[in-house]
Amino acid sequence: MELHTLAEKTGAKVITRGKSVTAEIHRVCAGNKISELLRQASDTTLLVTNLASLAVVRAAALMDVPGICLVDGIDPEPEVVKAATSQGTMLIVSCAGMSETCGHLNEWLAHVDKDGS
Amino acid sequence: MNTAVHPITGGDFERAGSASKCLKEMLKKIGVEPETVRRTMIAAYEAEMNVVIHAHNGTMDIALDSDRLDVAVTDQGPGIPDIERAMQEGFSTAPPAVRQLGLGAGMGLPNIRRHSDRFAIDSTVGEGTQLRFTIFLASHEAHSATRSSVLVASPFCRQCLRCLHSCPTGALRVRDGKPQILEHLCIDCTACISACPSGALTMDCTARPPQPSSDTVLVAPTSLLTQFGAEVHPQQVLEVLRDMGFADVRFLYEWEQALRDAVAEYAREEAESRPVISPLCPAVVNLIESRFPSLLPNVAPFLSPIEAAQQALTATRVVVVVDCPAQQAALVSNASDARTTVMSPAGLCNEIAPLVMARKDAKDATLPCPDHANDAPHEALHVSGISHVLRVLESMENGLLPDVPLLEMFACDQGCPGSPVWKEDPFIARRRWRVAGHERRPGVEAFRRDTPLLARAGLRLDADMSKAIAKLGEIAVLTKGLPGRDCGMCGAPTCAAMAEDVVLGRTDIEACPYLPDSKGTPYEAE
Repeated sequence: MELHTLAEKTGAKVITRGKSVTAEIHRVCAGNKISELLRQASDTTLLVTNLASLAVVRAAALMDVPGICLVDGIDPEPEVVKAATSQGTMLIVSCAGMSETCGHLNEWLAHVDKDGS
Repeated sequence: MNTAVHPITGGDFERAGSASKCLKEMLKKIGVEPETVRRTMIAAYEAEMNVVIHAHNGTMDIALDSDRLDVAVTDQGPGIPDIERAMQEGFSTAPPAVRQLGLGAGMGLPNIRRHSDRFAIDSTVGEGTQLRFTIFLASHEAHSATRSSVLVASPFCRQCLRCLHSCPTGALRVRDGKPQILEHLCIDCTACISACPSGALTMDCTARPPQPSSDTVLVAPTSLLTQFGAEVHPQQVLEVLRDMGFADVRFLYEWEQALRDAVAEYAREEAESRPVISPLCPAVVNLIESRFPSLLPNVAPFLSPIEAAQQALTATRVVVVVDCPAQQAALVSNASDARTTVMSPAGLCNEIAPLVMARKDAKDATLPCPDHANDAPHEALHVSGISHVLRVLESMENGLLPDVPLLEMFACDQGCPGSPVWKEDPFIARRRWRVAGHERRPGVEAFRRDTPLLARAGLRLDADMSKAIAKLGEIAVLTKGLPGRDCGMCGAPTCAAMAEDVVLGRTDIEACPYLPDSKGTPYEAE
């Protein structure tokens, strides 16, 4: 499913769109440790995290990750938004917690696998 | 071997990751395959963050060789008292404030070891730590370009340098008093032919008129039908061609329309990457292979109309009259087909012109009504002209076209009628064609591509990665020493291209007229 569609379906608030809104997302990768996120990150991954830090944005850019979903309604600092914007990474915020957000995202991705649409 | 050193500042979380980013750019320039880049980035970022978190300062030393990357990250910091323990997953000495950022979780060193091919670490307490890792490199799969189908007619060259600045891939040079084409960069578009005012660049195929016979099928370009003025209906041109004595006369629009139908269905039913790019124009496909390989998955997997025509026709002999060098190259690349003869349209135009003009006053009630079936589908974005195509592909690569499902792009203005082989203005020709309408022949189909499109190796400095690495460094140094005017007086389109030419042995640095030691201006502007 395309990143922007996934963001719309889950009702997450879009902070910055980035350059890869049409990137295909195959997997959700959740965590609150950069090392964990790095291991699983790829150009078809959406990172879900409660870390609203520059380090996450930099790691995402290095791994060609198209989007980051912050959880718990976190309001990212302006420098984080600026970094995401300049690196072209889509930044969205979900009001739900980590597990609930991942549940919703995986449901939609499974829906695509099942229906192929 | 190419080496680079990047400083790392301890505690500077704002710039953390910049050394890894520089390394990533280097790997991409020499064509390292994506999974290797990914593994390298995990190891490099972890190593860089270790310095930022624990040390006062450090460096990332990069050594790129033919088949391997060696990275050494050295810091001046507290050192590691117990390396064996530090290598255990979860062991961390990072302060709580750093852990709150998601860093220092005790997984960095194991992550580096896991994602590298060789790993070593030395540390002295109170002095610092050096961490080294090696990753063996593999290059991206790529194919070499076929021969250019643009012909240089040297005696006509006036050295005006217009062709230099018109080429979208920087494939032109003007040296030794004539244009030279770097065939590995040429995409066979018509940009240089259109820009050349003296006819020094043209199509590399015969312009003699085709010889009709009962076992030969003629495939003619659609644009031919609209080249004889407002008073000649395209159907009248078609009838002249049919009277010439060929077994059959077919037109490229038949396969264009079949491709449009097939791609529209593909975009609706199958496509995984959007926008879908229709492979109507072989020059645009060449451009994507050469400059935008990340967009190759977006190209619908069908043959171009000219290739489909060649595949569909089973006659003993097929004469194909082409609009442009890109169509010619698409046919010539299929070397196994000896039945096909490729021609430029000049000879055929001259041959039929008197016959067509003799019929121009004839009123024919059987002329078809306009059906506009040759128009692009409503949902498609129609782009023509190489400068517009470049801008749209750049936008697409940056993810800025989420609202476009389907793209039809042509290198020439207004599509094939814009090729410089035609005399009529492309806007007039296209309107004439649209108003006239045309017959659709049943049973014409698009063909799926047997082999996938591959990125061209053309932009790489050398097929051998080790040599590419060395040349990368030399070009960077040379470019800094050139004036940056991009004037073309040296015979290259830009100073960066000039530096590349010098490193690759195509010219001498003294060809630049602005350097103090220059031997003078090699070419005089028109």
